Amino acid sequence: MQNKVILIQNALILHPESSFHQKKMDVLIDGGMIKKIGSGLEKPSEATVISGEGAFLAPGFIDVGIQVCDPGMEHREDVHSAAAAAAFGGFTAVAVFPNTSPVLHSKSELAYIRKKSENLPVEFKVIGALTRDCKGEEISEMYDMHSAGAVAFSDGQKSIKNADVMLKSLHYVKAFGGLVMNHPFDKAVASGGQMHEGLTSTGLGMKGIPSISEELMLVRDLYLLEYSGSRLHATNISTAQSVELIRQAKSRGLQVSASVAAINLAFDDRAVEDFDTFMKVQPPLREQHDIEALKAGLQDGTIDFISSNHVPYDEEAKNLEFPYAEFGAIGLETAVAVANTYGGLSPEQLVEKFALMPRRVLKMELPKIAENVSAELTLFQPGLDWIYSSAEVFSKSGNSPFLGKKLRGKTLAVFNKGQSQIF
Amino acid sequence: MLSTRHLTGIKNITEADIQLIFQTAEEFKEVINRPIKKVPSLRDMTVANLFFENSTRTRVSFELAERRLSADIVNFSASASSVSKGETLLDTVNNILAMKVDMVVMRHPAPGACAFLANKIKANIVNAGDGTHEHPTQALLDAFSMREHLGDLAGKKICIFGDILHSRVALSNIFCLQKLGAHVKVCGPPTLIPKHIGGLGVGVEHDVRKALEWCDVANILRIQLERQDIRYFPSLREYSQYFGINKALLDSLGKQILIMHPGPINRGVEITSDVADSEHSLILQQVENGVAIRMAVLYLLANQ
Repeated sequence: MQNKVILIQNALILHPESSFHQKKMDVLIDGGMIKKIGSGLEKPSEATVISGEGAFLAPGFIDVGIQVCDPGMEHREDVHSAAAAAAFGGFTAVAVFPNTSPVLHSKSELAYIRKKSENLPVEFKVIGALTRDCKGEEISEMYDMHSAGAVAFSDGQKSIKNADVMLKSLHYVKAFGGLVMNHPFDKAVASGGQMHEGLTSTGLGMKGIPSISEELMLVRDLYLLEYSGSRLHATNISTAQSVELIRQAKSRGLQVSASVAAINLAFDDRAVEDFDTFMKVQPPLREQHDIEALKAGLQDGTIDFISSNHVPYDEEAKNLEFPYAEFGAIGLETAVAVANTYGGLSPEQLVEKFALMPRRVLKMELPKIAENVSAELTLFQPGLDWIYSSAEVFSKSGNSPFLGKKLRGKTLAVFNKGQSQIF
Repeated sequence: MLSTRHLTGIKNITEADIQLIFQTAEEFKEVINRPIKKVPSLRDMTVANLFFENSTRTRVSFELAERRLSADIVNFSASASSVSKGETLLDTVNNILAMKVDMVVMRHPAPGACAFLANKIKANIVNAGDGTHEHPTQALLDAFSMREHLGDLAGKKICIFGDILHSRVALSNIFCLQKLGAHVKVCGPPTLIPKHIGGLGVGVEHDVRKALEWCDVANILRIQLERQDIRYFPSLREYSQYFGINKALLDSLGKQILIMHPGPINRGVEITSDVADSEHSLILQQVENGVAIRMAVLYLLANQ
């Protein structure tokens, strides 16, 4: 919906940099601008009223590191469907990983994403490929992509295997203050692994993905980071020891940040017990003590933000025998609700983990909540229970383990780029 | 009555199920030793044997069991790779079921393949081995054979030797023997023992002599060279020298233990011929009992 007049009544404003922080206010939005903030605002005759009772109004959420599948695998997802899913989940912005076909590894692919998303209510940022074709061999034209708006560099789903490539990348991005993102995963010690290695995998006779497959590469990356003096983001860490490694690195003053996927806060490896392929994700669902450590990492700031780890797959890739099914689950529609349900986070912390910290890590400007600025907002009701049904799958793929499950916390509306969506 | 419609694994059946299968197998064992070895129990039922992985003895054993119960049989063999190129497992099985098949006996290289099917189709499913997950009828026939010699297995000590990591037989044996109250250890090179196996309540031993001294029964598994995509030990020569079981070793124990092997045997690798063919070897008895156990399983599932 475009250029509508909307009056949000009695919403708690959560924005630490706003003078209205933690105040319950009415907010009038007109033509995509925040026109007025105050108590008991008069309703313009043409205005749509949304009750913000029990909800909070925050700078729009951003999800860092989704698989958009566009270009190349548009039957699984495209820019439009990802935007619809993101908006429903409360996101006004996403940063897409480059694992498309062709790979997002030069400014012309960036231009494609920008052009295709320009009229959508969700802003699309690109995480440019760290290496050409995400092959992990030659570093890509990162400076040029940075100039064209890339917010970070990563091979996304693919971890950087070669330590020299990682080191060169960390060095190279220093020229423009760039950020390297790597998902730490050493495949060699998880050969053929299908799920977390532990008692559950042993009882299922399934090859495991040991925790050390993540920690080994994280240790390497932290050494390389210290040596290069650059900036690094560890994408979607999943083990207790990884949290501790990041904590120590931060206390040593390294410029490192980390994220966790919402689903890794919700389930442990026992969720795979009956071979449910929707529970087959990378990083894998670990153990209860890992979940506790991840939650503690969120509390003390070791883990900077939460991602949806949105990986769409069609039925053909998922309705298979477990070892043949692909890794991944969609998460845009549910990530915030899942984090709210399972993460042990206050509303303020939700805003920190979904709006403030991801933008700080990516050096992006934070949307303002003040009069006469353009509205980039999320209205979220943290106490609302709902059941995620297939009617609420906006993604082109339906591979969500949360379908049919009760979640707490729901997006009521998002506002961005002059548009609004009310759910 | 069994507590389940499918036999996908030992983990999810009860001790009472196991005892019922044993009781029924005893009766069928008597039947197959008669001059006329056939009973009409499964007349009018069609059983499909779907083998997506090579197998000779298990398939023959199931086929014999089905024939002796007077079932009609359809055999389907395909390498999983050729199936995965085109038709999915679900489509293959649905096609066969559309031809009005009542039961499916399946072997498949993917762990969980039988559970996957059990959730989706109506016919009863018997797992004849799903990757490195379970091989329930093998565990049942192993325990049944032990029981014939030792009586009640509660408190008995059984050690499984060899490649535990790649073995569905080991896992099913562990679940089955534990349900019957036996103590279980595993023994082999550390690279072939899953790191977390202790969590299943199983002891771990790397010294073959110590393991043999401990146990009443040695169940010796085949070295599954075909399942090893990388080398877990340097050579067969070294394996047989340090982890193989030979007669001299057994003679030096000063006690008699039962020797079992699910076959096919790599003679001279995990077990020498003089051990395999010795009077304490139950290997051929296991094969005979296999038919009786499979008749019992098919009969009981058909009557669900």
